[in-house]
Amino acid sequence: MKNERALAYINLFAILGSLPYLCELDRESAKLIENADVSVGFTVKDGPSATLCFEKGQCGMESGAATCQVKLPFSSCRKFNGLIDGTVTPIPTKGFTKVGFLTKTFTKLTDRLTAFLRPAPSALDDPEFFRISTTLMFHVITEAAAQLANEDPIGQCSAASIVDGTAKLSIKDGPCSGLCCHDHRLHAVHSTPEQFLSYMEFDDMRVARDLFDGNINAIAAVGLGQVRIGGMISQIDNINRILDRVAVYLA
Amino acid sequence: MKINNYSKSRDAYLRACKVIPSGIYGHQGPAEGCYTPVEAWPLFSQRAKGSYFWDLDGNRMIDYMCGYGPNILGYGDPDVDAAAAAQREFEDCVTIPSTKMIDFAELLVDTVASADWAFFAKNGGDVTTLAIMTARARTRRKKVVFFKGSYHGVDAWAQKKDYSGILEEDVMHNLYVEWNNVGALEQVFDRYKGEIAAVISQPYMHGNFADNELPAEGFWQKVRKLCTDNETLLIIDDVRTGFRLDLRGSDHFFGFEADLICFCKALANGYNVSALCGKEFLKGTVSGITYTGSYWLSAVPFAAGIACIEKMKRLDLPKLLAEKGRKVGEGLRAAGEKYGFDLHVSGMPSLFYLRLADDPSLMLHQEWIAECVKRGVFFTTHHNHFLNYALSDEDIAQTIAVADEAFAVLRERHPK
Repeated sequence: MKNERALAYINLFAILGSLPYLCELDRESAKLIENADVSVGFTVKDGPSATLCFEKGQCGMESGAATCQVKLPFSSCRKFNGLIDGTVTPIPTKGFTKVGFLTKTFTKLTDRLTAFLRPAPSALDDPEFFRISTTLMFHVITEAAAQLANEDPIGQCSAASIVDGTAKLSIKDGPCSGLCCHDHRLHAVHSTPEQFLSYMEFDDMRVARDLFDGNINAIAAVGLGQVRIGGMISQIDNINRILDRVAVYLA
Repeated sequence: MKINNYSKSRDAYLRACKVIPSGIYGHQGPAEGCYTPVEAWPLFSQRAKGSYFWDLDGNRMIDYMCGYGPNILGYGDPDVDAAAAAQREFEDCVTIPSTKMIDFAELLVDTVASADWAFFAKNGGDVTTLAIMTARARTRRKKVVFFKGSYHGVDAWAQKKDYSGILEEDVMHNLYVEWNNVGALEQVFDRYKGEIAAVISQPYMHGNFADNELPAEGFWQKVRKLCTDNETLLIIDDVRTGFRLDLRGSDHFFGFEADLICFCKALANGYNVSALCGKEFLKGTVSGITYTGSYWLSAVPFAAGIACIEKMKRLDLPKLLAEKGRKVGEGLRAAGEKYGFDLHVSGMPSLFYLRLADDPSLMLHQEWIAECVKRGVFFTTHHNHFLNYALSDEDIAQTIAVADEAFAVLRERHPK
């Protein structure tokens, strides 16, 4: 059911790509990188490439890995996906003097990310942990939807029916993002879009969490007014199909 | 005007959600029905008569969806109901069928131009599926051509590979071309020479979220010729449009003959029956297909269908519905113009589609429709509408008055 290449795009851009939001949201993560000054590039043969940049206590992601200080090449999407599920240990080809960042800080950071993205149920009882975890999930899911629309054969089928324009996704009083569609390719923007053609808003963090965890269904939630949809609903309809695929990949 | 309250509907919906998936599933539910915002719409009805239904809170709605099509003469039409009641006195669902089935088939063969026989089932999807099976059985080919944006039911072959529960294998023989694009269809026939079992299509493009599009001049005649030249069956899905354009079939209306034509919705004014009709040369093929259902030969819907078709013939109903549709469309358009809104009315008048063209996102349109619904006119935001014979001039005038007030509210919220 899962396509290795599509999974690699999700793992790089949605999972590792959520590290910048983690560092923004979580004080402990921000502290881990407060003195870091390093860029780590990931290149996957026949797959994605991107660089995580840590500088002045901030984290960002750039596409490509041409100028990174530490380079982690992977011979296949499967190998890269192994890094994320912990079965593959990467060997850098560049930046050996910065390897300490990888083995210490970066590992702690990804452990922190895992704690938020795959939380112990009891951890969610803490309102702040719940907020950070749900916000991170929101960004991961939005980004994963864009990646699947572009790279997953089934996702591409849904994207083929999405008209040009931006769909706004948001949690009321919480994070907002846009999925911008052009020529049936999607691009995620992790901020409030100025203009949008359609929208889907979750009533609160709890509704969003329950939807992310598969505890409630979006169709039922629309009827109950817990999820608001509007505008060019065909966009939302097809994005929902992609979100169903996201659940398959992130399970 | 009075603004509807739906508190009983909402309470019932909460009850429903506990025991029914998504409370109300499918196109008659708030999600697929695109109720935006959901609070503007009633969710459950309690009775219906003529062109109205009354919801659980007692609000009367002038109904422009007609049960999504079945209500063509008016809810509870006395002639149809009398015929059904008379038949019920004798029998309905019995071990062997009533001869009402033969009467109904004979009437359809006499009425529908391309029909030499009729096969009965219950839902539109039952007969579109049978049409596809017939085409594959007859031609011994696998591929089927669809026009993009069309809808032929929810059986696996009619869905897409990204839909929940659908396998790629279910739809691997589906080919899609743009509506009204004969060149694209020719290319598909060239590319899959000798492989295409059928072209299936609605008589015109009445997809959702977009203006409905009639066939271009000569389109159907070219499609018919391509199918004939390639020994491919031409299936017309007249489930939605059937009997609202032409009692002899929508293929007849557009000047061509289908090999197979599917009916449901308006066939029996709400009594549960569908029919596949077709050409003589396919009768033997259909005979050889294993296809049946528990309620398919029930006699009451056949009696209702006979009464419905006979009444539609007496009334010359498509002509009347077209006149009513023109009145509604012109009235709504004029109401919009009064407040500076550009309301587009597309498709055939008896199945008109509405879109406020002032806003491509449709949000303004959804706002206007919601204001109409709150005032007792049941429109939808995304789908074509349906007319019925019981819709009176007074109903149309009331509809336009509601639309006018809704436009006024909209203009106040969105000044020029």
